[in-house]
Amino acid sequence: MNNSVLLKIIFVTITLSFLQSFSKVSYTVEPDEILKNSQQELRARNISKNIRCVVCQNQSIDESNAPLAKDLRILIRSKIKEGNEDKEIYKFLTDRYGDFILLKPPFNSKTLILWFLPFIFLVFGVYIVFYHNKKSK
Amino acid sequence: MIGKKILVLSAIFFFLILSIFFYLLTIDRDPSEIPSNLLNKNVPIFEAESLFKNKKFISSNEFKNEIMLVNFFATWCKPCRDEHVYIKRFADEKNIKVIGVNYKDNTEKTIKWLKDLGNPYKEVLIDKNGKIAIDWGVYGIPETFIISSNGIIKYRQAGPITNEIYKKIILIIDQNE
Repeated sequence: MNNSVLLKIIFVTITLSFLQSFSKVSYTVEPDEILKNSQQELRARNISKNIRCVVCQNQSIDESNAPLAKDLRILIRSKIKEGNEDKEIYKFLTDRYGDFILLKPPFNSKTLILWFLPFIFLVFGVYIVFYHNKKSK
Repeated sequence: MIGKKILVLSAIFFFLILSIFFYLLTIDRDPSEIPSNLLNKNVPIFEAESLFKNKKFISSNEFKNEIMLVNFFATWCKPCRDEHVYIKRFADEKNIKVIGVNYKDNTEKTIKWLKDLGNPYKEVLIDKNGKIAIDWGVYGIPETFIISSNGIIKYRQAGPITNEIYKKIILIIDQNE
């Protein structure tokens, strides 16, 4: 591949990633859901951002308008008010909906391939490029 | 030589991944369907108000001695109406005890709905705020669960019961009897 084309692709990728970071993210937490204790509310928001809306699937429950997302947001807040730790709340949710409900897949035996496959591909890719370059020289 | 071998190996590996990808694309499955995390686990512990009885429903006292079905439904849910005929067949033809969980619904409308369409449920539980549904990992109604005679969840049907699924459920019930 021509070096200038490659540079252009890299430039466009970096620019898009940079612009993406400024994109507006909408939150759908309704006023009646918000906890009076700001520390508790912050915890609820942080947990909600990591929980997948199982109805819309590509959004967190913090961003989703789905009724189930609202139910889960309310449930998280009530669990916080009851004195549950974050860990206990995550466990409560994964016990019922599985790891799928977590937006970031956990690192365990089931997800080992998911985490390592990109690195394996990278190593293969780098090797093929070097091998190809060496041969063409 | 070793380089060439690695190249061949990586090509095989790549095509293997590609084949798996195409296989998953072509097989008949619903990618939005979430597998239940409760399969082969005990039914969730919960308490609920009953629509027709004054007694509180306590899950730990109920799911034992016989195979049962738990069906989440609502009058505002069109697929629930569509599958109702099969729920009735489970109760009438197969004599299976079906527990209905009335999800976020209006009590009067539910009573009328069951009067019009027939009531196949041994018990109708009220889930006003959707908390029971969350306990069961429900993400959309209708959903139906098969509970074994020792209180273990054996199967979850997300979405309405069709003729094909009806037969499948009967088969699973027969296997677990």
